[in-house]
Amino acid sequence: MGRYALRRLFMAVPVLLGTTFIIYLAVYALPGDPIQALAGPNRVLTPSVEQALREQHNLDEPLLVQYGLYLAGLLTGDMGMSLTGRPVSEVVAAGWPVTFQLGVTAWLFMAAIGVLLGTFAGMRRGKLADAAVLGGTTVIMGVPFFVVAYVAQIVLGVNLGWLPVSGTEAGWPLAYVLPGLVLALYGLPQVARLTRTSVLDNLGADHVGTATAKGLTRRAVMVRHVLRNSLIPVVSLLGVSLGYLLSGTVLIEGIFNLPGLGYQIFTAIPQHDGPVVVGVGTLLVLVFLLVNLMVDLLYGILDPRIRLDLD
Amino acid sequence: MSVRRPRWAGAVVATALAVTTAACSAGAGKAAAPAGEKSFAVGVTTYFLSHFTPGKSVGSNIDYALFTPLTTVDASSGKAVNALADSIETADNVTWTIRIKQGWTFHNGEQVTAQSFADSWNATAYGPNAMTNNYLFTGFKGYTDLNPAKGEPSAKTLSGVEVVDPATLRVTLTKPLSLLPYMLAQTPFSPMPKAAFTDLDAFDRKPIGNGPYQIDGQGLSAGTTKVTLRRFDAYQGQQGDAATIEAKSYQDEAAAYRDLQAGNVDVTLVTGNNLTDAAARFKDRLVQVPFPAVMYLGFPLWDERFSDVRVRQAFSHAVDRDTIVKSLLRGFGQPAKGLAGAGVPGGGAADCTACTYDPAKAKALLAEAGGWKGPLKLWTFQDPLNTVLLEAIGNQLRANLGIDAVTTQAQPVDQLYPNLGAKKIDGPVLLYMGAGYPHLYALTDQLFTKGNATNVTGYDDPDFVKLLDRAASAPQEEALGLTRQAAKVALDGLPLTPLFQPVGGLAHTARISGVRPEFLGGVVLASVKVG
Repeated sequence: MGRYALRRLFMAVPVLLGTTFIIYLAVYALPGDPIQALAGPNRVLTPSVEQALREQHNLDEPLLVQYGLYLAGLLTGDMGMSLTGRPVSEVVAAGWPVTFQLGVTAWLFMAAIGVLLGTFAGMRRGKLADAAVLGGTTVIMGVPFFVVAYVAQIVLGVNLGWLPVSGTEAGWPLAYVLPGLVLALYGLPQVARLTRTSVLDNLGADHVGTATAKGLTRRAVMVRHVLRNSLIPVVSLLGVSLGYLLSGTVLIEGIFNLPGLGYQIFTAIPQHDGPVVVGVGTLLVLVFLLVNLMVDLLYGILDPRIRLDLD
Repeated sequence: MSVRRPRWAGAVVATALAVTTAACSAGAGKAAAPAGEKSFAVGVTTYFLSHFTPGKSVGSNIDYALFTPLTTVDASSGKAVNALADSIETADNVTWTIRIKQGWTFHNGEQVTAQSFADSWNATAYGPNAMTNNYLFTGFKGYTDLNPAKGEPSAKTLSGVEVVDPATLRVTLTKPLSLLPYMLAQTPFSPMPKAAFTDLDAFDRKPIGNGPYQIDGQGLSAGTTKVTLRRFDAYQGQQGDAATIEAKSYQDEAAAYRDLQAGNVDVTLVTGNNLTDAAARFKDRLVQVPFPAVMYLGFPLWDERFSDVRVRQAFSHAVDRDTIVKSLLRGFGQPAKGLAGAGVPGGGAADCTACTYDPAKAKALLAEAGGWKGPLKLWTFQDPLNTVLLEAIGNQLRANLGIDAVTTQAQPVDQLYPNLGAKKIDGPVLLYMGAGYPHLYALTDQLFTKGNATNVTGYDDPDFVKLLDRAASAPQEEALGLTRQAAKVALDGLPLTPLFQPVGGLAHTARISGVRPEFLGGVVLASVKVG
């Protein structure tokens, strides 16, 4: 198990390198000029200032040299300087707690509500409740993410005044409930549906029949024999979803004005702020990889067969 | 500041998510103002909180709360009046003697002297410092020594800025500019204390200014969404009413407006589509903000299809400005009769004769000029409102000029401007231009003087140059008339046609009053009354 974990960790290195390079390329390939973006539509940069800024940010070098300098900086722990003149490490340090809280909140909502709905629907197959869950999740999947975000914000926040509309001032959990709920909708349908299918599969399985025949209570059968087995694929989905949730934070943090990592990317992209986009983007990829590793390890705990195969 | 407490959510959520960790709940503490202190919260965009150093600041209302420059432009008379300056005198509009009021101090107690101004200006004008407001000093004597075209600068200080004695500053320009007092009203011309130069980065985050408010707490840092200002009690000018002001930053004005509706801020600038909603919701608590700016359609003079002035006139007459303002902008805009609106000193004149809507004349003019050949492409920068406007203009041109193939294209600002500079744009372009300082001269100079990066049409006319030069070297009253004449000449040549002067709104809660706009549209913080 330990060796397996270590091997997986090492595999992350080339993935990370590749990712930074691709993000770097993407930012570089954006149409327009970062220095011009910095000046804005209504101001003029004099040639001397333009030159000084280009030199400061290595923008006068070819792409590969720029990337090399950036990597060299990373190795010495320097994440570079944003175009607006703040160290990227500072941007990350300020942003990650917000994103972490948002991600965890959304993930909890998604896991709790998703598994609950799925189990509920699975146990009442073909009934009205089942149809409601299936129909409801279809609707959620069909509506664009940002529409839900704006509607939730205006209805629940502005008009009803139940929850804070934006910002982190109300603290955790209050400030994160609304954005967390909206973000959770991102993966909720899949979780609910997978749980439902999985519960259905297991309800019909032989060992469940045996357990029932042995005279175990319905509750014991459900928890020990149906749910435990049903959750294996769900856990893997929940893990992967955490990664997708992180990408969703870019939009959600922008809309709900939460100053997290996603918000930083949201503002940095139109400004061509390469160091911020690459730095924060890489960090999100790293978290994604770590989460996937954890999921794989968790698999082994849930199912001994997988654990034995790995060693 | 009133944060409306959610009614039920607290209890439910706390039980549902009882897995809170110490890390999660940290940082939520809110520094409440002591009881009885007057305080309010203002919503601003993140752009306003990007930098505080005068050389990098954007001239926002926060900047004006933190810094007081030499002059200020009086909103009612439109005249530049002295703020920190005691007197500003010149005989030839080239050499200026500025006497500075005594007894004014920075927030750290240091006296504001002529040297404080010289230090600040030199830092901004020095090219390698890469300060974005560097361009404001191009007209000062000695600028090229600090910003050579090639190689290292040969000087670190402007020869055109001399400290005669602690209370006297002598400024020398390279050519006459009678409107220098207007220029000096901008925050980039604010003074900086000695302490600033030991650590310019730290100063940028937590500046020591000389304005009516000082930074309370840590100031700007990465991820900051709030800056607290505290009244500077030793301020020699008009004191502010509120003891503390919370400036909260938002991604854009729409996000700030949502928080105003939710009751989390007291005042914010409203623009675009939200203006209609704000007009209905806030009624008399929506203060109109005429921006000192113009939205215009510029013609690519390098494109031979636009070389005939009659074609440009035809385009100009074919656009129904009133309808655009009424239907698309819901009345939040002034249909352009000339370059600048009445809110700008020198503005308000109907100096654009081709700005009237006259489809018949438009058609006739185009026919006279030989008609239109080929497809027509309209350009603008990426912005939701711009895209809609451009579609409407396209439809009017199609209907009124009989041009069938009209297409539109939007590019990011930072792509469009370089493309315009390289003359790669092959059609009229919808653009926004704000006056650098509150005077018609600024707008005229920015749009029509050859060599200015914001003169995107390539306009160049000797008569115009002569008139504008005369305006620059004439006394202020006379300069106003000459600037108007210059603007008239340029608009007769019609390298661009003004469409409308944009209008915004400051919406505010009932607990504050005295809301009036600063130059960029933000509320003047020091004049807001609480309660």
